[in-house]
Amino acid sequence: MNFDVTYFLEIIPLLLGYLGLTMKMASLGLIFALLLAVNMAVIRVFRMPVMDWVVQLFISFFRGTPLLVQLFLLYYGLPQIFPVMVGIDAFTAAVIGLSLHFSAYMAESIRAAILGIDKSQMEAALSIGQSPLMAMRRIILPQAARIALPSLMNQFIDMIKSTSLAFTLGVAELMARAQMEASSSFRFFESFLAVALIYWAVVVLFTQLQVYLEKRLNRAYQR
Amino acid sequence: MLKTLRSAAVALTLSLAAQGAMAAEEIKVGMSGSYFPFTFVKKDQLQGFEVDLWKEIGKRNDYDVEFVTSNFSGLFGLLESGRIDTISNQITMTDARKAKYLFADPYVIDGAQVVTRKGSDIQGLADLKGKTVAVNLGSNYEELLRKADTNNEINIKTYDTNIEQELALGRIDAYVMDRVSAAQLIKQHNLPFSLAGDTFETLENAWPLLNNVKGKRLQGEFNKALAAMRADGTLRKISEKWLGADITSK
Repeated sequence: MNFDVTYFLEIIPLLLGYLGLTMKMASLGLIFALLLAVNMAVIRVFRMPVMDWVVQLFISFFRGTPLLVQLFLLYYGLPQIFPVMVGIDAFTAAVIGLSLHFSAYMAESIRAAILGIDKSQMEAALSIGQSPLMAMRRIILPQAARIALPSLMNQFIDMIKSTSLAFTLGVAELMARAQMEASSSFRFFESFLAVALIYWAVVVLFTQLQVYLEKRLNRAYQR
Repeated sequence: MLKTLRSAAVALTLSLAAQGAMAAEEIKVGMSGSYFPFTFVKKDQLQGFEVDLWKEIGKRNDYDVEFVTSNFSGLFGLLESGRIDTISNQITMTDARKAKYLFADPYVIDGAQVVTRKGSDIQGLADLKGKTVAVNLGSNYEELLRKADTNNEINIKTYDTNIEQELALGRIDAYVMDRVSAAQLIKQHNLPFSLAGDTFETLENAWPLLNNVKGKRLQGEFNKALAAMRADGTLRKISEKWLGADITSK
């Protein structure tokens, strides 16, 4: 057994120093992805002319191609066609890529949740004179949020882990650091185990947050 | 008193103006950060042969050198899209690359080397038939191997990183790398590898630049600093510090 405990214990705090960058990417990605996803879901539910088409195409592309390919297209490919895009730094490009990619999945989760709300809710809101969009915002979406939460959390967890692809754009985040340390020390198992445990711990924390949120959102339904 | 104050103010303004005029130019140098001992991270410190070279060039040319680390396969994309000014990662001057990029003068002369596990029956390039041989993705060793492998008998695998680990684990029979860093790596980490045969191709490594006005200017500036470092022995010293040998001249 050749496990260097000292090295393992030393590398954890060192790697934790880069967790902030990883979480910053993931949380910015989450905010933009959610904003996009809610709008796309509503467009699709109402089957808004033309826009519904555009959204379907968007979702089809961003679910249909690997995230890595999208990141490469965005960061290395597009600037060759549009030189202005060179101004986008690696961090921003990673956040944009993550947002677009995961918004496609989240839009479908949210759409499913909206469709899961009984039709009578919308009809009741319309009957007292609310416009469809207003009813969506005030009556349907708050209820749909509760249903969508578990699958949105699923996608957020996936997003946290997908930030590790940002190294291919030159963002020296958590995974990048682990890889670089490993290739200079040859302590592969220790480095990768350390980074795995860090990702895992973060995901466990968010799962706890999900349990709490679910309880809160369920309060109105408890008898 | 007033006079002293005034002259102090003038001096301050002058020095500020001088600083403004000579503000260091920012030069972004791309590297993988995972190519021991050229560019690697240990205890959170980016270091190595390339890093020392650029700190020295920065001093001589008054550059504000910023190191950008990325996977090796992403480095040329960074250069191509103008996000870095050059790559310092033992980039070999190949014909294909020379057709596309400008290169500064070579700063390392090295050779391609087959590396195997100790006790392997592979004695050199000729014994690689039917074996699995690894090279780094985007490196020119793949091209070199294919050129030597006229009958398509070598199973060539490409990796982004961790090529040595693959050999240690026995998933590959050999890998191709430059001789100097391979030897240094084996020595430093006491790896159960051996160098199989002689080097089979001379490699001249240099810094690639975009072929535009800025690239041409930087090419001249880099060459001037490099020549000066070669002349006063700094280049040799940095090479000996990291590689235990002078790999900067033929």
